[in-house]
Amino acid sequence: MNDSSLHPLARDYLKRLNKAAANLPRARRNELVGEIESHLSEALSAGASEAEALNVLERLGEPAEIVAEAGAGQAPAVRAGLNEWLAIPLLLAGGFIFVIGWFVGVVLLWTSRIWTLRDKLIGTLVVPGGLATATFLMTFAATTSTRSEGCISMSTRVHRHSPTVGKSASQCVETGSAAGINYLALVLLILLFVLPILTAIYLSRRATRAKAA
Amino acid sequence: MIEYCVLALLRDGERYGFELVRTLSEVPGMVTSEGTLYPLLSRLRRAGVVETSWRESPAGPPRRYYQLTSSGRGVLEAFTGEWASFRDAVDHFLKEKAA
Repeated sequence: MNDSSLHPLARDYLKRLNKAAANLPRARRNELVGEIESHLSEALSAGASEAEALNVLERLGEPAEIVAEAGAGQAPAVRAGLNEWLAIPLLLAGGFIFVIGWFVGVVLLWTSRIWTLRDKLIGTLVVPGGLATATFLMTFAATTSTRSEGCISMSTRVHRHSPTVGKSASQCVETGSAAGINYLALVLLILLFVLPILTAIYLSRRATRAKAA
Repeated sequence: MIEYCVLALLRDGERYGFELVRTLSEVPGMVTSEGTLYPLLSRLRRAGVVETSWRESPAGPPRRYYQLTSSGRGVLEAFTGEWASFRDAVDHFLKEKAA
């Protein structure tokens, strides 16, 4: 696509068309915009007068009208209902309700007609259990780090009171490698917190998009 | 109805979008806005009655050419027959009323 070969008014028209076509499936939008763009480049040279350009655009018709024609024959939009707006918070935080809340969310997700197969897979797999998984793992990690702190204080005590230096050194190395693992675990933990939130945002955007179409 | 005019225009060979659209819009009363013909072409393609292929143009970017498929040819032939009998039936009543 070489936009610079188009008349400025034609470029402006294409921008409006693209915006109007935002809710069409991507392949159909690309086909439509591509065809209208070729039409404009056939009908208008970059140096055409403003009157010529306006004439060509008027013959084409309003972008909204063209998009409405392109959307005709599509399945009627299904509206997001109570089930969908329950599914999203349950997937996010239902794990805290004795874990079963998350499973209820999954059932609601898969029985909905709003979301596509891809949406449902994302909703289920990113991240199973939702925020509860991260919270559970964080509690687990906290217990582990408390134990390693205990190790340090113990080694110091050992160092102070008895000459078994070798033992305390080995414990220090252990603590150091544990810190490296902790750093990785922290990144993972943050991801486990952020990903379910992003998934919830994604699912609600997909639900409202289906409503708007 | 315009669908069948598109198929008829393609009977003798392939044409590119702009060519089809301009030919149709030059017949008075046929087309309200040229832009709405492109979604129609897309529907015909998805229905399998036309297929498209890209060809270099003598000047400017490549063009998408539309061409009848064998199923499109069948649809056009069937419609040509139906249309003739439908037109005769309508004419019959119109003339009777006028007489």
